[in-house]
Amino acid sequence: MRELELYFGPQHPGMVGNFSITLKVEGDRVVEATSNPGFLHRGFEKLMEYRSWTQNFPLVCRLNVMDPDPYEMVYAMGVEELAGIEVPPRARYIRTIVLELSRIASHLFWAWGYANMLGFDTLGQWSMGDRDYILDLFELLTGGRVYHIYIWPGGVRRDLPQGFEERTLQTLEELAGRLPDYDDVFFENRIFVSRARGTGKVDRDTALALGATGPVLRAAGLKYDTRKTEPYAAYQDLEFQVPTRQQGDSYCRAMVIREEIQESIAIVRQCFEQMPEGPAFHRPPNPFKWKIPPGETYVRIEGARGETGAYLVSDGGNKPYRIHFRSPSYPHGILLLEELLKGASIADVGHIMMSLNIAAPEIDR
Amino acid sequence: MDRADIVKALRGPGQWGHKYSLWAVYFCTGCGIIEIPPVITSRWDAERFGVLPMATPRQANLFMITGYVSVKTLRAIVRTYEQMSAPKYTVAFGSCPVNGGMYWDSYNTIKRIDKYIPIDGWIAGCMPRPEAIFIAVTKLWHMIDVGAATGWKRYQENYDHYKSNQDQVLGTFQERDEPQGGTVPVGECTPGTGLSG
Amino acid sequence: MGSEEQLKGKVEDRFESARATIQRKQRLLITLDRDALASLLLFLKSEGLAHLAAISCVDWLEQGTFQLTYHVASYSEGIHAMVEVNVPREKPKFISIVPIYKHAQTYEREIWEMFGVEFEGNARLVPFLLDRWQNTPPMRKDFDTRQYVHETFGVEERRQKTEEV
Repeated sequence: MRELELYFGPQHPGMVGNFSITLKVEGDRVVEATSNPGFLHRGFEKLMEYRSWTQNFPLVCRLNVMDPDPYEMVYAMGVEELAGIEVPPRARYIRTIVLELSRIASHLFWAWGYANMLGFDTLGQWSMGDRDYILDLFELLTGGRVYHIYIWPGGVRRDLPQGFEERTLQTLEELAGRLPDYDDVFFENRIFVSRARGTGKVDRDTALALGATGPVLRAAGLKYDTRKTEPYAAYQDLEFQVPTRQQGDSYCRAMVIREEIQESIAIVRQCFEQMPEGPAFHRPPNPFKWKIPPGETYVRIEGARGETGAYLVSDGGNKPYRIHFRSPSYPHGILLLEELLKGASIADVGHIMMSLNIAAPEIDR
Repeated sequence: MDRADIVKALRGPGQWGHKYSLWAVYFCTGCGIIEIPPVITSRWDAERFGVLPMATPRQANLFMITGYVSVKTLRAIVRTYEQMSAPKYTVAFGSCPVNGGMYWDSYNTIKRIDKYIPIDGWIAGCMPRPEAIFIAVTKLWHMIDVGAATGWKRYQENYDHYKSNQDQVLGTFQERDEPQGGTVPVGECTPGTGLSG
Repeated sequence: MGSEEQLKGKVEDRFESARATIQRKQRLLITLDRDALASLLLFLKSEGLAHLAAISCVDWLEQGTFQLTYHVASYSEGIHAMVEVNVPREKPKFISIVPIYKHAQTYEREIWEMFGVEFEGNARLVPFLLDRWQNTPPMRKDFDTRQYVHETFGVEERRQKTEEV
């Protein structure tokens, strides 16, 4: 059989995000896959060393366009730890709401990409429409649909506007009412189940050895969630489940993500019920004169794709000395993807890639 | 009827066909891609404007450069643009292709996409709203009507200028099209010569 | 005694050059001589810190060293330890820890590309994010990105005003 080299991406109808995989195929089977990232490399970490602590704020959410708020959160948490800034309780709850809404929006975006890979465009039409109502909520709260620049060291940029709670609860009510339709049409669809079961199977030991976190690891059987391991924002006061499955294939990953949408809706509702009064931020320092004492820290949170972390080093100046972002798609998109694509059929390449929920901008930064 | 008159008479319906079926090549170049799925799905519905995503550049005539362009992406963009057949239209979406945007001091992004491929319209913003895409499409219709959307002609006529800009960033010709990591050598790439409108 | 204190005690007992600080709950900072890194990481892995979150590199230009920080964490206890070693800047060569944590390969590959640190034993030190990069590794402190942009992409001329059509 002759070996052929195919390029999946960067210009490809199945490629969500600017990423490329070089496939060596024999007939219909992939013999070897090589991830080729770097199409979205902006040198974020270098750029952040040239901007002051405050100027980095608008930049940091752009690390992952599909799920931007976790990066604002890790940057704010890191700065708060280095500078010794406290966050008022009300801001903790508001941050939780924003992070969970971002998780829901990211999962609905995933649903579009994933279903499209399987040739099922209907789910994407529905989920992108529903996601847009969540972007409307973000617009009401922060002024921007996609990039919010809302989570700030010391709290959040401003308090909840009038009517936000009613509107959010109504939107989530409607979304929760549509989830059974999603199940009917896709998640319980015989064709989806038969295609996804057994595809892209990763067992627990491989997942652990290759650095998987988030839904990928939870679908392989390990119940590891940073919201429970090291609670941040308001998570220690909230009750929620962490969906886990055992087989580690594409079907399990899809179901974990589907169940997480429901959990996130429940978390947001709880946040509104338990929302404390008080200020939404502590007064931020003068941006022109803000120097952070020297030190280093690592902060981590649970983004939609897995453990999102930031390692910050300050040398006492008004600019960061070094910031390194640990993105969840980094281990998934390179070694784990190459491992899972060995032996896959060409039709499943996009499916496996999307089931790992790889976000290319996170890998390249 | 004179032969030239026939061509002139057909030109009108030709323009009408072009402008009301702008098929956008599906290439997620940068972070602006996040607003494209909302635009092509149920809420914003670009299909009522005639804009559909098209899988292959060979059958597309609208190229939206959504977001910043890294050097690696520029290689792919030039190749994709040259694969599209004329008349083709390009729209730069977002502030980054306009003048570098947020990443004006980044060592890996190009600052003006205008230098490398011709642009017919710009949409500023970070992130522009989906309505901005529709405004750009309707403006592009008007430009097609009056014959002002001639980026593809500019590319053919000033190919040397564009190519020298591309070479400056992308390197020598032999290496231009070969993606790093691939083993298949690629032959010559000629500029797109499509049917002229 | 909390598990952070236990771990700190064990590390400082077994490893002569190791200094462990408990930064806060669930955060341990360990500095040690780079010769002992591999056995320390193996020890930490056997103590349950089986998750390699990341490997970071910091360029201390004035001190003339690259600081490599290995972030290892425990799935069950939630302890996250930052293990730091220094590598001299003139001869940035170190061992690869791929035999201990398989996916360290990608982090080391990026540090090789961005800082120029060689990892002996890593079979995949090939270009990763940059495209045919000929200059100094860009994350080094002596690489000025703004100057590079000025030289490579040229000075921006003012745009001509486009006509309204």
